[in-house]
Amino acid sequence: MFNMTTVAQILWTSLATSSYYVMFAVAFSLVLKVNGVFNFAQAGLMTIAFYAAHGMVAGLGAGGAVAFVVALGATMGSAWVLERFGFAALRRNNASPMFVFIFTIVASEFIAYLAMLLFGTWPKTVFPQLFWPVTIVGDIAISAWDLPAIATTSCLLLSLWAFLRFTKWGQFMVAVSDNASLAELYGINRRSVYMLTMLIAAMFITTGMFLYGTRAQVQPLTSLELMLFAALATILGGIGRIGGAALAAVLLGIVQNSSILVIPSEWQGFLLYVFLFVTIIFFPQGIRLPPRIRTFAR
Amino acid sequence: MDYIYSVIILIGLFVILASSFNLIIGYGGLISIAHPIFYGLGAYTSALLARDLGLPIPLSILAGVLMATVLSIAMALPALRISGDYLLIASIGFQLGMIELIKNLRFTGGASGVSGIPAFLVPTFGREAYVALVIVAAIGVVLLVRWIAHSDYGRAISAMRDDEQAFAALGRDAKWIKVSLFALGSGIAGFAGALYAHYFRFVTSEQFEILMSATILTMVVVGGLKTPWGPVVGAILLQSLPQAITFLNLPPVILGPLQGLLFTGLVLIFMFLRPGGLVQAGNTWRAHGSGRGGA
Repeated sequence: MFNMTTVAQILWTSLATSSYYVMFAVAFSLVLKVNGVFNFAQAGLMTIAFYAAHGMVAGLGAGGAVAFVVALGATMGSAWVLERFGFAALRRNNASPMFVFIFTIVASEFIAYLAMLLFGTWPKTVFPQLFWPVTIVGDIAISAWDLPAIATTSCLLLSLWAFLRFTKWGQFMVAVSDNASLAELYGINRRSVYMLTMLIAAMFITTGMFLYGTRAQVQPLTSLELMLFAALATILGGIGRIGGAALAAVLLGIVQNSSILVIPSEWQGFLLYVFLFVTIIFFPQGIRLPPRIRTFAR
Repeated sequence: MDYIYSVIILIGLFVILASSFNLIIGYGGLISIAHPIFYGLGAYTSALLARDLGLPIPLSILAGVLMATVLSIAMALPALRISGDYLLIASIGFQLGMIELIKNLRFTGGASGVSGIPAFLVPTFGREAYVALVIVAAIGVVLLVRWIAHSDYGRAISAMRDDEQAFAALGRDAKWIKVSLFALGSGIAGFAGALYAHYFRFVTSEQFEILMSATILTMVVVGGLKTPWGPVVGAILLQSLPQAITFLNLPPVILGPLQGLLFTGLVLIFMFLRPGGLVQAGNTWRAHGSGRGGA
């Protein structure tokens, strides 16, 4: 059962499916890096993104592009509300991590219950069918979904890198993430930076959820599970390292898909959570290469 | 009447859960949210021992408490290397990992859960006896928490929570305090789980998921952290208010989400209107020295 074709197929499928995991991990990591918040309300934003797209297609018969734009608007609007009326108030009151956690998880739950009420608990997809045409390239099955997904993710990652590296507001975000008080002394409005970060994260979340919903079924509570994966990738990649989180998401996708060869698929969830527990206890700052290897890596 | 008894029993069990959780998170300042899994371990252990091995129910309940206590120590020993947000996420990993384990083991009934659990007290003395048992247990736990908070051990817990370095500088062992607090709180949660199993006679791993963590945590915070009566108020209020709409005779597909919306909506309102909790013990918005901890 172990041959090169199987391994290559698993690697390709892992790479393609990790596209949405990368989006979720980057969104989670970006908010943690700049805003300093473990944003578990990301699950709520993911739910809004998916059901807005699904509602447009299934309810109003809109095309994919229109559905995506509406989903983007709904998610960015919700992220604005979340930051303006939620996180800003918590920050003003110097809320403890526990309070922030409760707020974010309860906000996600609230949105999940709202989705249950409006759309029911049956699994849904963005488009009526999940099957994509497949092309065989050198014994490897490549679906029509794979390449656009990988290309979209790569473009968004490059855009984010260029934004952080070359634009004024990108530099402001880096400055606030390094030292928010010092950045404010230099005239940077940190509240605007926090808001901008939430909006950029919302873009990644919407794109990731749109990709996910065109390939897999979604229920109102699916987002919570996907978000935990993003949290694990963020920690594993090293807090404050967005590229590390993206890379960790790809690696985790490969590990999860490859584990089918070694252990039954029903144990994959267990493996993931053991990984989360062990990683955060023994590598709370992420896995770092030893200094000498890092020099080579540069 | 059976419905009323069930609601009272659930409120009593949530009072026990919220009060024991308050020990860990409120008095101890240890941000772990894995409490429901110890509730679940107590329920599963007691149910399986009584049903499959025929152990007398009181002994099964005791075994449930022991299982929850031992596994909480197993989690706490490595996990207490970290604190704050990190401990919170580690606890989520432990909780969800244990749930996956329960789902995949054959003898725990897998995803279908455990049914046909032997009933306790009800066949002999009626449902009223079980209601009385749960109420007495809830009052006992609240009084125990109150006594602990005012004892020398409670003062040591407060000192450790407020300034761990100063506490250690005085020659006190913070790790022992943390582990013992985890074990005590989780053991009590295991007791509540066993009581649940022998009344409702069915348990499934889905009952102990992360949403349950949010529910108990919410009861403690909305009621009031670091006060013996806060979690009692929180548990009674947040367990009974969503029940009010049960009498509207709505179909289950609407009733369930509506109850959830009511619950989470109330929490969000309370969080911003009364951030210190309904029974206030001080400014609980503020962090108490538990920063982002590395190893």
